[in-house]
Amino acid sequence: MSPHGPSHTLEIRNLSVRAGGREILSNIDADIRCGEVTALIGPNGAGKTTLLLAILGLVPFSGEIRFCRAEEHGQGTPRIGYVPQRIDLDRNAPMTVLDFFALSSQKYPVFLGRSRKSRAEAEASLGKGGVGHLIDRQLGKLSGGELQRVLLALALRGDPDILLLDEPVSGADVSGEELFCDFLDQVHQESRFSLLLASHDLSVVTRHAGRVICLNRSIVCQGATTEVLTPETLSAMYGSGAHLFSHGPADGHGHLHGGEGN
Amino acid sequence: MDHFLTPAYALLDFLLPLSFAEPEFMKRAILAVLLVAPAAAAVGVPLVQFRMAFFSDAIGHSAFTGVALGLLLGIHPLLTMVAFGLFVAWAITRVKGRTGLSPDTVIGVFFSTVIALGIAIISAQKGLTRNLQAYLYGDLLAISGAEILWMAALCLAVAVYLFFAFNRILLLGVHEGFARSLGIRGRALEISFSLVVALVVTTAIRAVGILLVTALLVIPAASARNVARGSVSAFWTAIAVSLASGIAGIAASYHLDTATGATIVLFAAALFALTAIIRLARGDTT
Repeated sequence: MSPHGPSHTLEIRNLSVRAGGREILSNIDADIRCGEVTALIGPNGAGKTTLLLAILGLVPFSGEIRFCRAEEHGQGTPRIGYVPQRIDLDRNAPMTVLDFFALSSQKYPVFLGRSRKSRAEAEASLGKGGVGHLIDRQLGKLSGGELQRVLLALALRGDPDILLLDEPVSGADVSGEELFCDFLDQVHQESRFSLLLASHDLSVVTRHAGRVICLNRSIVCQGATTEVLTPETLSAMYGSGAHLFSHGPADGHGHLHGGEGN
Repeated sequence: MDHFLTPAYALLDFLLPLSFAEPEFMKRAILAVLLVAPAAAAVGVPLVQFRMAFFSDAIGHSAFTGVALGLLLGIHPLLTMVAFGLFVAWAITRVKGRTGLSPDTVIGVFFSTVIALGIAIISAQKGLTRNLQAYLYGDLLAISGAEILWMAALCLAVAVYLFFAFNRILLLGVHEGFARSLGIRGRALEISFSLVVALVVTTAIRAVGILLVTALLVIPAASARNVARGSVSAFWTAIAVSLASGIAGIAASYHLDTATGATIVLFAAALFALTAIIRLARGDTT
């Protein structure tokens, strides 16, 4: 925590999301503070992606999501960056990584050409993420890890207050995964945004997140990573044979720590 | 009305000093194609990205009912066709957004409902069938000066719309959530794009007919995808394919005495085959 305290907080109060007549998320209360890395964990279908979409304002919800900005940091709505879980890109889409950047950065249509400024900006953002060499590659032909890093570079370009990452390493090869996480650590230290990452990879969570929110339709427990993810909790969650590289409770055990968490 | 077009005719005489371009009705046909084909191709590029080919087909077929309604009510069928096309486009987009059903399901429902309504109207009014021919197959050679001006206005409107919306539409086509996190208002953009597609489709029907109108939007963009790797070249390849097949189709139909719209579409399909061969020759099969 910085000496001045957090410059902003995202407060989620009593948030519920209904879809198709059933409650996907109920009574979520959570705070996500500036400069912190919060991991959102839970089994498949727990509502992790839905919570991210609610924060983005892309699904209707009841309850409140408040963004509180400290006075010295000015006012206004937060800038939220978002890296989706998995994009089923049309592999043949005639669009290069540079085109993709230019689509969101230049006023005139991309079919009239891409401005020199677009290219310079894209080169800078991609270079920072260590993927500068991808600039002229076709977007649909990138590997999962490459695509995520391109999306991350684009999401960071707007200097977000909050960055939402949905399963940041799914589909990434192992070396790409490490690069991705190290890069994330580095930019995060530089720019102090709040980072909320939905993940079921506990190795990523323990390495990077200071706080953890365990979600299964509602909040099961939340707190500092070291307190929540103790060896005892982990073995309760994933069975005694589980270790840190376990890939989530897809083993049929479900999410087990409701009992001791609260 | 035609005196507005005299300078355009003179320009055509200069650019295309060929026998088929001499008669005035041929000049009008060529002008119509030069306006409508690139507009359709330009809209087709994001349309294909959005996988909306079926949508444009449904709008095209809704024109059948629009024309029948016009004939029934004694209003000019061109007006009812455009208005009805816009209405169907709006309704499909709204119902899709509200129900969360998949696009092809919603379009399938509307497609058959609209055609059923058209058939019901026509079967009750025996005299209407004759008038429908020109709309089913297109009637490029009978286009009036007033229609050319309407097409020019449409072409301009599409250019202005794409100038301001093209980037956002393409981003939305890549990933909706990501685009919206960048501040793009997806719903509004989707509706406006659907309406522009409906406007282009109903206008292009005069050139190639209800049955073939989707080809004018889809084939140039599909050909471009075969060979282009970036957005700039994809867009201009689609425009080039549409213009080349338009002019070649008119010339060939004049000499072979075939239906103009169909001939244009056949040339576009030939260019698609050519680009597909180029793609395969490059070894790019994925």
